[in-house]
Amino acid sequence: MIDTVVEFRHVTKKFRSRQGLLGGRVEATALRGVSLSVGEGEILALVGESGAGKSTAGRVALGLERPDDGQVLFEGSDLTTLGARQRRALRRRTHFILQDPYQSLHPAMTVGRLVTEPLAIADVPRRRRRERVEQALEEVRLTPAAEFLARYPHQLSGGQRQRVAFARALVGEPRLVVADEPVSMLDVSLQAGILELIERMRAGRAIIFVTHDLAVARHVADRIAVIYAGSLVELGNAEDVVDGPLHPYTGALLAAAEQLAAPPEDPGPFPPGGQPCQLYGRCDPGRPECVDAEPTLVETRRAHHCAWHVADGGGSDHEQGD
Amino acid sequence: MTWRIVRLVVQYGLVLFAAAALNFALPRLAPGDVTDYLIPPEQAGAITAEQRERILARYGLDEPLPVQFREYLAGLVRGDLLISARYSRPVTDIVLERLPWTLLLVGTSTLLAVAVGTAAGFRSAWKRGRATDVSTMSTFMLIDSMPPFFVGLLLILVFSVHLGWFPIFGAVPTLPTEGVELVVEVARRLILPALSLTAAMLGTIYLVARPALVSELREDYVLMAQAKGLTKRQVRRHAERNALLPVTTMALINLGTVVGGATVIETVFSYPGLGRLLYESVLARDYPVLQGTFFVLAVTVLAANFVADLLYPLLDPRVRRPFASP
Amino acid sequence: MTTQETAPQTVEPRRPPRRERTTGGVLGSAGAAILVMLFAAAAAAPALTRYGPQERAGLPNRRPSAEHLLGTNDVGHDLFAQLVFGARVSLTIGLLAALFALAVGLTVALLAGYLGGTVDAALMRAVDLTLAFPFIPLVLVVAAFLGRGLFMTVFVIGAVIWAQPARVLRSQVLKVLKYEHVQAAQAMGASTLRILAVHILPRTAPLAAAQFVRSANVAIMIEASLSFLGLGDPQRISWGSMLFFANAHNAIVTEAWRWWIVPPGLALTATVVGFAFVGYSFEEWGDRRLTGGSGSVRRRRWAAEHAARGPAAPADPQVVLDIRDLHVHYDTPDGAVRAVDGISLTVGRGRLVGLVGESGCGKTTLAMALPGLIPHPGAIVGGTVVLDGHQLTAMRPGEVGRLRGRVVSLVPQSAMNALNPAYTVRRQIAEAAALTREPDDAAARADELIELVGLSAAKATAYPHELSGGMKQRVVIAMAIANEPALVVADEPLTGLDVLTQARIVRLLLELQERLDVAILLVSHDLPLVGQVVDDLLVMYAGRIVEDGPAKEVVADPRHPYTRQLLKARPQLRGADRDIAPIPGLPPDLRRPPTGCRFHPRCAEAFDDCQRVDPDEYEAKPGHCSACLLERP
Repeated sequence: MIDTVVEFRHVTKKFRSRQGLLGGRVEATALRGVSLSVGEGEILALVGESGAGKSTAGRVALGLERPDDGQVLFEGSDLTTLGARQRRALRRRTHFILQDPYQSLHPAMTVGRLVTEPLAIADVPRRRRRERVEQALEEVRLTPAAEFLARYPHQLSGGQRQRVAFARALVGEPRLVVADEPVSMLDVSLQAGILELIERMRAGRAIIFVTHDLAVARHVADRIAVIYAGSLVELGNAEDVVDGPLHPYTGALLAAAEQLAAPPEDPGPFPPGGQPCQLYGRCDPGRPECVDAEPTLVETRRAHHCAWHVADGGGSDHEQGD
Repeated sequence: MTWRIVRLVVQYGLVLFAAAALNFALPRLAPGDVTDYLIPPEQAGAITAEQRERILARYGLDEPLPVQFREYLAGLVRGDLLISARYSRPVTDIVLERLPWTLLLVGTSTLLAVAVGTAAGFRSAWKRGRATDVSTMSTFMLIDSMPPFFVGLLLILVFSVHLGWFPIFGAVPTLPTEGVELVVEVARRLILPALSLTAAMLGTIYLVARPALVSELREDYVLMAQAKGLTKRQVRRHAERNALLPVTTMALINLGTVVGGATVIETVFSYPGLGRLLYESVLARDYPVLQGTFFVLAVTVLAANFVADLLYPLLDPRVRRPFASP
Repeated sequence: MTTQETAPQTVEPRRPPRRERTTGGVLGSAGAAILVMLFAAAAAAPALTRYGPQERAGLPNRRPSAEHLLGTNDVGHDLFAQLVFGARVSLTIGLLAALFALAVGLTVALLAGYLGGTVDAALMRAVDLTLAFPFIPLVLVVAAFLGRGLFMTVFVIGAVIWAQPARVLRSQVLKVLKYEHVQAAQAMGASTLRILAVHILPRTAPLAAAQFVRSANVAIMIEASLSFLGLGDPQRISWGSMLFFANAHNAIVTEAWRWWIVPPGLALTATVVGFAFVGYSFEEWGDRRLTGGSGSVRRRRWAAEHAARGPAAPADPQVVLDIRDLHVHYDTPDGAVRAVDGISLTVGRGRLVGLVGESGCGKTTLAMALPGLIPHPGAIVGGTVVLDGHQLTAMRPGEVGRLRGRVVSLVPQSAMNALNPAYTVRRQIAEAAALTREPDDAAARADELIELVGLSAAKATAYPHELSGGMKQRVVIAMAIANEPALVVADEPLTGLDVLTQARIVRLLLELQERLDVAILLVSHDLPLVGQVVDDLLVMYAGRIVEDGPAKEVVADPRHPYTRQLLKARPQLRGADRDIAPIPGLPPDLRRPPTGCRFHPRCAEAFDDCQRVDPDEYEAKPGHCSACLLERP
């Protein structure tokens, strides 16, 4: 039985903002009743378009955003019931790797200081720090580690910077790592190296990998969760989702990636919340049921015309919708 | 859109209220007796306790504070700003006499400063790095660094004392004049104070216009405009259109400072505006006039800011129509 | 000559870059020098003069002499003494008030920015309130009621000027909070104190320094104005009060202005200038973008000096772009960067050609060379470019400008920001079309184009901020085809777009190519994506073309190790999940490319000759060339 590290139960998150100086309030729903879990040693990829909510899901998992509804459990404790200080303490057992290697490192800190920072925050005794920092650097193949300690970020290439970011992720031995598009700003020839790092990192921790690239997701992840307009529309083993997608949206993503077919016309930005099935209007086999209610993620039953797939622990059964 | 106007009205209303409250509070907070601020200073020593009582009663100062404040606000709304201790005339009358001159001075200077400063700033931005840019920037910084009253004094020295071209006292000639001649005479007396005040503002506008355009020129839409095959002038216009935004914002923020500068300039040139009135009343300890003038000055600045805020959307479509669903 | 090591990761040995002289640097030094002199004079006042500022030092109204360097005033005080002791007063009040203002302003900015919500709203109202009142009248009034003494003056001035720094610094704090390294620290559970001290303050420091200096200037001016009006501290003489007395005694009309009015005025000016210059250099330190074009502005060297090599071949009407042995170099302080180092290629009419390569290989430079928009300090230093019969390399910059938008048009990188936020879509498209049409026709053409690129007609009156990324991209494409150019150069048109939107844009480009018979040069780093879409594929590495052939062939049967390794470096969507392999090492420094084949340090198939011999393009198969010694016949 895999140890569950983080679990979402019907998590909903909305963002309120003022529109410019008009004063009217706009509410955007980033996550809508999302439920999933990630176990130790597992890599889960969150896939979807920008604005779909996958980055928000990552942040909620880390306790950086509070859900408006639902629960987020980290190692069994419900983050929503914890106070700010307790959440902060828990954060030391998690790590967030950001997308832009050119912005995520403080320009005035040396590599040494940067990789030490998580240890400093976690109050690890000083004498132990150096050793762990060097170890982390070796693991991300920035060797000889001693030479890199005194460098500043602007002296490193994009790929090297991202490795430093990963070193920071490893040094504190977190149980959950959320990586938000960690390779999208790197050249193709460098991406492979980082993806390999992610693979090697999985022991003893859960990894949530946010990406818009299905090929990368398939290569790296054990399972893929597809998010559209804040809802989880498909969830399953990586190969299964890519080889035999069930949800029309997943199908559209795959077709687009392979230039096989022209995707439906761009209807513009997402409609503000509160509608029946979010894909209504964008999806071909639109049916009368689609107007009545939102489809839910079902394991074994089918609902409306969108079938949702969840693999149970051992098998990989798909349940087909019509 | 109406929401925006309502919010602006509320915002400015609050500030106005604060100004009124400040006016109300200050004499009551200051050291000494409140009545000291209501009578001509010469009489302060000679007044008896009984007379003080009568003054208090007359001004309603023996009432509890909330009542006083209410009366005070009511008076403001009516336009009743008390009586000048020095002149024994209603403050309102005095202020209204002087207001137009300040408006003329501040208006002229602002227009001049914005026009010249923006043009020079934009030109500098376009030619940045060249010798002409560095020298222009140094010159403007130099002018900006000279205290306005110093500039005024120097202008008087050169143009009035040595060259005798412009008079240095008042806004209108002492002898009655009419029609075109009046306009000319007013202009002659306006030039030096306006130039001094312009000099005070010029540097600030330039130092905002230049980086604003430099910043815009780095934007991708400028590259796109070039790529489209537009002429240099057309490209420049694209960028300048957007660079005007921060310049306008700056000009607005600066209005308060300009009015302050006007206070000093009017004093140097004995120009009969509100600034000079403020100064005179400070010296003469004519507190009702002091308060009244300050209040009117504040209201003027606020009104100008309000109008400008109202018109801002004309320049920035992002404010005019924030993200509407397509 | 450095050779690339083949170890997985290395740190490049770096020479310290030559520091450029910037406007800020020059001004800052000058300003600092001025201030040092003034402060020194103030500090050393008793040493510079033996009189006190209010000591009856001599007979009244004396002219300058050896005894009294600036003469005496109407009471007999030594004016030079007043000047140097006055410096103390003016500078002290200015600095103290500025310090007070900055302390309050910075605290407010940090609290408001970091805590946000009601705290922010309340503090900003207070800021607005304070800023709404005109400074000097407010100071006058408050001083009139509360009296004047040194500390009261400092307090009053500080209480009035804190609002401006608060507002400016708050904006900066809000900006810094969005920086990723701050977010990363928050994500790690760093304490508020740590985030403020280690992450936020250092990034706010330059601006805070600039604001301090600005406040000092404002404070000094206010104090001078107050004193000039006779409202300063009666116990102390400052420069402003010197001017007050001078004015009161009509020094203007006597000759006394020379030594009574000018020196304190100049002293004030010098102080303010000094602070202003120093402040400007602080601002530049915080925002390097203000420098722009510092040092000498070089004119681009054009074909006048580097005339086309050899006679131009007669233009083939079926060839829209003919590049022969093109070299484009950037002239930097560290040496010439050879971004395009001997490239030849052709694009046929109506063909869709892909140019792929990684960052730093020179593809963007090549793309920008075609409409003549190579950024400074780059220039074409050799070779010929013929665009639809026009010999680009033999033209003057003005002539090239006329080709833009008409013969060749550019869809630039990050086209998302390529639209002016202040003008409507129709206006911007019509502006492009107006190059070849009357204004009325141009507007009609704009509407036509909007439809052609798949946007609804309602969008014509929309502003850019109201459109999604994909829509903006379509508008840019519309602008590019407005005048029916022969060639459209699209530089990374798909970056930053979602997968679905990318697919739609690709569809659009293909459609347009067919309907309008326009040739498209699609520049990208995404080999698999581009390879599926284009007719012909060019692979670029370190300023050279390494492979060139029909797209399907290049992808199915790559004939250059770089292409092969590049294809293996990316995970596939379909098929067996195989191992992916990164390409070791880093792209070479284009100032000192490797000897022999440029790819050899990273090549898995390199052999001896590769280090010595620089390969030509060999024909591996008919129509399919490769610059690899392995393909040498």
